[in-house]
Order: sequence, then structure tokens, then C-alpha cells
Amino acid sequence: MKKTINIPLGSQHISLLEPVRFKFECENEKIIGVDSDVGFVHRGVEKACTTSFKFDSIGYVVARVCGLCAITHSLTYTAAIEKLLGAEITSKAKYLRILLLELDRIHSHMLCLAHTCENAGFEAMFMRIMGDRELIMEIQELITGNRIQFDYINIGGVNRDLDVNSVQKVKENLYEVKQKVQGYMDEFTNNWSLSLKFKGIGALSLDEAYMYNAIGPLARASGLRIDVRNEIDYLPYNEVGYKMQTHTDGDINARNIVRLNEIVNSIEMCENILNGVPEGEIVTKVKGKPEGETVVRFEAPRGELMYYVKANGTAMLERVRIKTPTFSCIPAFSHIFLGEEYADAPAVLASFDPCMSCTAK
Amino acid sequence: MQKIEVSLEKIRDEIKEFYDYKKWHFLTLNGVALADERLEVQWIFSKYEAMDEIVIYYVVIDYTDTIPSVVDMIPSAIISQRELVDMFGVTVEGSSKGLYLDEDSEISPLKGCSV
Repeated sequence: MKKTINIPLGSQHISLLEPVRFKFECENEKIIGVDSDVGFVHRGVEKACTTSFKFDSIGYVVARVCGLCAITHSLTYTAAIEKLLGAEITSKAKYLRILLLELDRIHSHMLCLAHTCENAGFEAMFMRIMGDRELIMEIQELITGNRIQFDYINIGGVNRDLDVNSVQKVKENLYEVKQKVQGYMDEFTNNWSLSLKFKGIGALSLDEAYMYNAIGPLARASGLRIDVRNEIDYLPYNEVGYKMQTHTDGDINARNIVRLNEIVNSIEMCENILNGVPEGEIVTKVKGKPEGETVVRFEAPRGELMYYVKANGTAMLERVRIKTPTFSCIPAFSHIFLGEEYADAPAVLASFDPCMSCTAK
Repeated sequence: MQKIEVSLEKIRDEIKEFYDYKKWHFLTLNGVALADERLEVQWIFSKYEAMDEIVIYYVVIDYTDTIPSVVDMIPSAIISQRELVDMFGVTVEGSSKGLYLDEDSEISPLKGCSV
């Protein structure tokens, strides 16, 4: 008689909003094997970037890789081109770029925390966080013109300036979100459904985080000090109050706490930026065509996003390689599932905050 | 960014000597189609908590060559190896087709894609 059974989770599943399929091999309720299929929405963006679009249009193409972290995709690509062209960006444009990156991180983390609540059966908290997230979506629309998939980053700077009225609105909404997050902190620390239930579940040790090259909140929740904001000088993160957030438990609860602390730090950074945006132009003219190859990284909400770009001095690029956070984390995800109860799989998965749109670009 | 060319025969030994998993973060395995119907395969690393310190080990191969696996040294490389198999139609030891494409797909979208 067979001792194990295979149980699928996805590609369409009530507890899973992303098109990914996991096949769990289970012994009684325990997961002893994992196989994953991530190719349900592959769109061939990398090929399109070298066959259908000129280099100055690709920033808008790669913004479509993902609705949530569109700003990081277009910025990482654009920074690679700016590096190849030797372009100098104004301080004002750099500050505005950080502002949008951090607003993006706040709403993305709120989405993840909301899904974690939903998977814990805490529907009311899910609705509350999603409602509060609208405050961030509103100000993103105010600044960029779009709620998602913003065409805000331009080679040489950004496309829109802040005006006095929008600065005031952004400040008000950020202040309101900061108050709300203090309430979440209490729920995620003291509510049984959201804290004790998740302690020790889906844990990744520090050594495993190193071994599986974990990144983003997943790695930082295990104590691994990796954050691209700490490893690049394209943007002045050291001037706006960036502080790396880590935890040591490596479980679902630790990942929630890291995300909450990152939201608080991102709000602080946004407030500092709004209080000290330098004067000057938002864009500088950049001439020429890129030549050479480069690797550029930025910290997306889910972790390190990398672009490799190879150019030959013409308008069409030779290679655009996009390495996304979820793609990098799949080996660590698969390892974490081993030994867990099948019933915990949806909650563990939500705590990873996977993005299949990015992965199957 | 430092690029180091290595022969296909020596790539495993070079990475084994270089890779300290607590110092270096494995970014990804990358393929770049070259104009002469050859493929540049890159193993890209960044240093933890260092300012943009990137090291790329690379080999230039024919599409018929077999690329050795580094999964025993870098477990997370399995996903990049499978992507390379799907996208470029090359053989990587221990890495099956079917991550993005169907397992019986005859298409290799990025093979010979470069100008």
C-alpha cells in the first residue's frame, strides 16, 4: 500500500491568488516533498525587449512585468541604461524616485499582510488593511497619474513634479497610515490568530537563508542582512533615514513583523523626503545610445530585483535579463515547506508574498 | 563589475574555490546569445553588505555543449539552470525542461535571439 499521497495547491486555488502550482507529497498531514510549476503566465518580455522595442521605450514595457512593483522594474532598467550612457541625474529626481519606491513598498507590504490575515481566517482584518491601503494608492495616483503600472521613471529623471497641494495630501495620508500601522502592530503581536498561531511555522534558519540565497523580507526575517538599499549608491538612501529591519525567528510571524517595521521606516523616509526635496529640475537630457554591459539591482518590496543589460551602440539592445525576487526565492520556499503540516501551506505561502507575474515575465 | 572568463571544463573548480556562501550572494545564471551562434553563460555573484561588488564568471560555449551543474555547491542555482534549459535549449546537468515551457516544447525562445 502506498504510504504517501500527492496533494496539489494551485494553479487556481481559493487560498492562492497567483497562478502557480505546488505539488505536495504528503505522509499523513506532513509535507515531505515539493514540486512547483511557475510557467502559467509567461509573456516573453525579455525577448520583446531585444526584438520589438528600442532602448528608450523598454522602461515602459518592463513596468508592465508587474502591477505592484512596476516602479522598481522601470527604475532598475532605466538605471542600467543611465549607467551605460554615463548620465547624471539631479538630486531632486533621485529623491522623487526614492519616494515612489517606498510608497510602492508600503502598499505592497500592506497587501501581503492583508493576505496573511485572510489565510488565517481573519477576514475583517483583511478588509481593514485593504481599506487603509487605499490611502497609499490615492497618493500614488496623485503623484504619478496611475494607481498601478506607473509610467513615472524616465531616462534622465522622472516624468512629473510634486506640487504644493499634492505634498500636503501625501503628508496627511502618510500620517494616517502611520497611525493605522501602530494598530496592526498590536494585532500582529498579541492576537492569537495572527501571532502565536504563526510562531515557529514555516521557519527558515539563518544558515538556510544563506545556503538558499534568500532575499528580501524572507531573508531579513531570518537575520540575514541583505537589502539592496544598503548595497548601492545610485540613490541617496543614507540621507533619507533608511534603517535595515531584521528579525531572528525566521517564521511567518517574523516575516510579518519585518514587513510592519519596514512600512514604518518607509513612511519615515517618505516624510523626510517631502520635508527636504532639493530644488532643481526633475529630468536631465540624456543623449547617445547605450554601449557595453552592466548589472543593476534595486530592492523591490519582495527583495532584490536585478537587470542585466547588454547594448551595442544601436537603438536595439542585445540582451535584457530580468531576475525577479520571487524567482530567486523559489528554492528557499520549497525547502521551507518540507516538514510543515499541509493545513499550514496557504499561510506559509502567503507569508512568502510570491509574485508570479514577475516570475513568469 | 568584474568579469572572469573560464573554460567549461574548469568552471566548477573555479566557482568551488571562489564561492563562500556567507560572503557571496549568488544572483543568477544568465545566458547571452552571441552573434556567432555561440552562447555566453554567466554565473553572477554579489558580495553581502558591500557597495555594488559584482563578480561574473563566464564561459563561451556551443549550444551542443553540456553545462555542468553547480547545485551541489549552490542549491538555489537549480531554478536558474532550469530557466537556461527552457530559454536557450541547452543541456545543463540534472536540470529538466518545463519550468516555463511545456516539457515537450520544441521552442527555445532566446536561442540565437541576439543581433
